[in-house]
Amino acid sequence: MRFVEEFRDAGLGRALAGEILALVQDGRTYKLMEVCGGHTHSIYRYGIDGLLPEAVELVHGPGCPVCVLPMGRVDDGIAIAHEPNVIFTCFGDMMRVPGSHGSLLEAKAEGADVRMVYSPLDALAIARRNPDRDVVFFAIGFETTAPSTALTLKRAKTEGVKNFSCMSNHVTIVPPLRALLDSPGLEIDGFIGPGHVSTVVGARPFQFIPADYGKPFVISGFEPLDVLQSIQMLLVQLTTGRCEVENQYGRVVPWDGNRRALEVMAEVFELRPHFEWRGLGFISQSALKLSDAYAELDAERRYGIPGVRVADPKACQCGEVLKGVIKPWQCKVFGTACTPERPIGTCMVSPEGACAAYYTYGRYTRGREAIA
Amino acid sequence: MTDIRLGGDLECQTCGDVATRMRVLAVDEGEGLALCLDDGERRRTVDTGIVGAVLPGDTLLVHAGTALIRERR
Repeated sequence: MRFVEEFRDAGLGRALAGEILALVQDGRTYKLMEVCGGHTHSIYRYGIDGLLPEAVELVHGPGCPVCVLPMGRVDDGIAIAHEPNVIFTCFGDMMRVPGSHGSLLEAKAEGADVRMVYSPLDALAIARRNPDRDVVFFAIGFETTAPSTALTLKRAKTEGVKNFSCMSNHVTIVPPLRALLDSPGLEIDGFIGPGHVSTVVGARPFQFIPADYGKPFVISGFEPLDVLQSIQMLLVQLTTGRCEVENQYGRVVPWDGNRRALEVMAEVFELRPHFEWRGLGFISQSALKLSDAYAELDAERRYGIPGVRVADPKACQCGEVLKGVIKPWQCKVFGTACTPERPIGTCMVSPEGACAAYYTYGRYTRGREAIA
Repeated sequence: MTDIRLGGDLECQTCGDVATRMRVLAVDEGEGLALCLDDGERRRTVDTGIVGAVLPGDTLLVHAGTALIRERR
């Protein structure tokens, strides 16, 4: 398969690992954060961390939108799902995310009509097929997914589909990165930047990171050689004293992003004054709500939602995991009370969550042994 | 949006920021839609609103039912 096999070549991978090893300076450590959940998944699926010297540590960032969704928003979605005559649609992983009184999957078991969809377009199709029902789409994701929701809402408005609405939980990538960088005690040397988010926003929005915080930033693809090369590029910058945004994923990511996508997002959405992120608290202008022009398609305006802030379970340390303060296996409930089958925290729900990735690919055992 | 990929692996396209490579089979230009096929022989209707005109045979990088990029031939 073009653009896939050549980025999984074992020989080239070993060569890149050798280059990374050669770049490591004596006595120096390198703490690199992969922003995106997809990178976390690739790192563990392909054993990339096992190819790296001990001096290079990978820290898992907040780039999994399910993992950063606070419980209160799940409760709000469940409240809408229980409204009479509603068909509630969402992506598959969202169904298992625990709220304070269960998940959407449990709401479905209790009788709510909750359906998994592949895309917002599928949710709109359900609305067209069920004109006597009210179809709500629970939108979630970063700027990669937001254009899809925006295009579907624009289509619904043009067609005059009255029985369709959207609860937007879309978030933006730059504000949480700035919040992370402003966190006291954060010791990150460089960032592996998100690949597909950058196809929409481009590379330019990340320039503040080297400019204001002195940290190199390399936008990366998702295949194993992409990730290894991005780590190598970060180490070259750190070793030579260069500090800038580089685009390893140039075969897909245009420097200026996708103008059409940004325009449709600007038409359909506007920034919320603030939004709560699990583990990071409230962050200003970090999420998208429907603009006034699309008010009639806004589920939050159409339905009364509780809007109650819910504290995370005390035992759960997703917040510390998302900030890179602790490794998943250092959480008290990791692999015991909290497993992919019965998650307590959101990081254990999605396969891209750092805890689920550790658990699935066997880092559970190694981590426990390491601290024993 | 958990999807079973070629390798039998489970991953969430949204959480993982994943895009799937798909080939265009047919185009509905007026609607801005394309019928596409992925490497697992699954057919999906894809919104092409942000990549502009596409042609049968084109390869798209698709996320959440929307084409993000049209690969250069």
